[in-house]
Amino acid sequence: MSPLSRRALLRGAGAGALLPALGACGSPAASVASADEIQYWNLFAGPDGNLMKDMTRKIEQRVPDLRVNTTVLDWGPPYYTKLAMASVGGRAPDIAVMHLTRLPGYAPGGLLEPWDMDLLAEFGVRRQDINPTVFKRGLYEGKPFAVPLDTHPFIMFYDRDMMDRSGLLRTDGQPLPFESPAHCLEVAKKLRKDTGKLGPVFGHVNDGANAWRMFWTLFSQTGGAFDLTGARAGIDIDRAVDVVRFMAELIRPDCRTMEISTAIADFANGQSPAIFNGEWDLNTFRTAKKDKLGAAPFPTIFDKPAGAADSHSLVLPRQNHVDPAKRRQAHRFAAELLKSSLAWAGGGHIPAYLPVTASKAYAQLHPQHEYAQAANQPALDPKAWFTGAGSDFQNRMCQALQLTLISGAAPEKAVRKMVSEINTLLSKPNPA
Amino acid sequence: MSSLRIPLRASARSGTARPSRRGAPGSSGWPFVLPFLVFFGLFLVLPIGYGLWMSFTDSSLTGHGDNTFAGLDNYAEALTDPEVWSSLENTVWFTVLTSVPLVVVALVMALLVHTGMPGQWVWRLSFFAPYLLPVAVVTQVWSLLFQPDLGLLNSMLKAVGIDGIGWLVDEKYAMWSIALLTLWWTVGFNFLLYLAALQAVPDHLYEAAAIDGAGAWRRLWSITLPQLRRTTALIAVLQVLASLKVFDQIYLLTKGGPDNSTKPIIEYIYDTGFANYRLGYASAVSYVFFAIVIILSIAQLKIFSRRED
Repeated sequence: MSPLSRRALLRGAGAGALLPALGACGSPAASVASADEIQYWNLFAGPDGNLMKDMTRKIEQRVPDLRVNTTVLDWGPPYYTKLAMASVGGRAPDIAVMHLTRLPGYAPGGLLEPWDMDLLAEFGVRRQDINPTVFKRGLYEGKPFAVPLDTHPFIMFYDRDMMDRSGLLRTDGQPLPFESPAHCLEVAKKLRKDTGKLGPVFGHVNDGANAWRMFWTLFSQTGGAFDLTGARAGIDIDRAVDVVRFMAELIRPDCRTMEISTAIADFANGQSPAIFNGEWDLNTFRTAKKDKLGAAPFPTIFDKPAGAADSHSLVLPRQNHVDPAKRRQAHRFAAELLKSSLAWAGGGHIPAYLPVTASKAYAQLHPQHEYAQAANQPALDPKAWFTGAGSDFQNRMCQALQLTLISGAAPEKAVRKMVSEINTLLSKPNPA
Repeated sequence: MSSLRIPLRASARSGTARPSRRGAPGSSGWPFVLPFLVFFGLFLVLPIGYGLWMSFTDSSLTGHGDNTFAGLDNYAEALTDPEVWSSLENTVWFTVLTSVPLVVVALVMALLVHTGMPGQWVWRLSFFAPYLLPVAVVTQVWSLLFQPDLGLLNSMLKAVGIDGIGWLVDEKYAMWSIALLTLWWTVGFNFLLYLAALQAVPDHLYEAAAIDGAGAWRRLWSITLPQLRRTTALIAVLQVLASLKVFDQIYLLTKGGPDNSTKPIIEYIYDTGFANYRLGYASAVSYVFFAIVIILSIAQLKIFSRRED
């Protein structure tokens, strides 16, 4: 074979190989999704992911011709970036899960569409059946843009045996209330002495949200102002300083350098009598503690009950071409998810659908039932386009708090930094 | 066999370019480069141009302000934004902390392995193996090692009577810890480059030197290191570029903390563009960073090419 013809052959082969590769750039999804399926995006991985998969499957079995094609994306900025981009492009899924606190960044920009409450009622979910606190937060300009599936608060898990030994349980098995921040510190000290190990633990180091959740819980308990609606932050500085000082005192002996994974391990292994944590780690603790596991809403340490919380909510992302049949099916699916949210409570979340939380079956869920009250005192992130679950704002607040929590700087310094970070964010143009 | 450098030096001295082998480049190569060119154009040239355009607008991820031309506003903001400078400083500090050891340690490791350690393949394997791990695995393993209370590193320190260090939780040490992890993780690649270069140094040079009575140190300084100069230049350039674009391990380990002490500029760009949705401004910061990288690369090339002469 001459060199020339060999080259010609290769040229042909090269071009030939390229064509199918370019052809493959078309839409592979088209062949997978069938026409009557609704597209559903969520951010649930791990145990929550399995629960959601299970609930969806059962709904499909129960409801004829409701078919759901689920896409699971990594939670946090990647999820919210993709959801925003899909809505901007107008080719969004028919229904998606979103943290309620992210709504101010989405609803005003026209990235979402409101729910038709009449249609939901047709499928058996009425407005008054949904936890009013979180439902109200889903309203924008009076229209419901988010239907809350649950409330997921920051709570306290404790070891019944260890708390009992220190005489800190009431006769009904619930922990004794704290009278003041000073009392809480005393109790922590006593627990530390009685166990001979750690006091209550709290993982916050190098975590993008936990220090903020703790701060926001306690600050909300003070009832102080934390207003992000103006051009500059309107924050009750003195109360913020008190809260940061208390946090530093509470964690100084044990948790100054406590990472979340260490805190979880310490509590699960019996090194510590209690942990302040999100209820979403319920199953980890239940596996480790079995019947010894107790749980309660975040204790009231300052003036009034409150606990940092958020809500997994269902939203309708904006689409260029809305198929009315699919819109209807999306409502139907949302209603079915709410009605079957007793299963969702298995993951620790408190269902927003009141008939479920009022049911006998829910009352028998332990320890979920013990902290159900937390759904009535949720402290959701202050309203601004930049706040909410998985936001850069929460990470910035955590970084600022670390000044005092880890490095031991004066609480005033951390609060000053928080305020200046917020003012920086407020000075930037609102992209929504 | 000739060494790597001799023909290159000869052609440089003669000052004439080597004539191309078969006349002008024909069209016969196109099928080979076309797939690359298509992807290069689609996924590199086009986005780079689009990003440049975007950096002059108020474009946001939520689709608002796309068409508002902002002129140089974003660049003006970037140059006065303290976070751009602090994250840039962190990036440069990380680059300094990693580039030097990643070159020196790799060289030392390669020299040790090359000069007569028994069981060479074991060393080659164990030095290179970490490089094969995905970043998620590396950060998982090291975050356990770095744990202040339960971690292996602090347990070892305590065993010899030193108080534990807040590896990732103390501003003073966090960046050093990340540099340490990066060294462990990536030094294997440079090590392999050096080892390959060492194996290409012709034996007759050493033989001649031995006949002239040169000792081991003399041979190292006068033959080995000069022979490795081109490799060192290559590794140094690649390493500085790799270190400047650090993001993954820091984002996974510390999210830029504690107190922003490890936040690299890429994380700031990511936060601005993808968490706070300011694509226009994020593009402008990217371009500022891009310009700095280009300047650094040119400076480095100048330094190394001067040494070549």
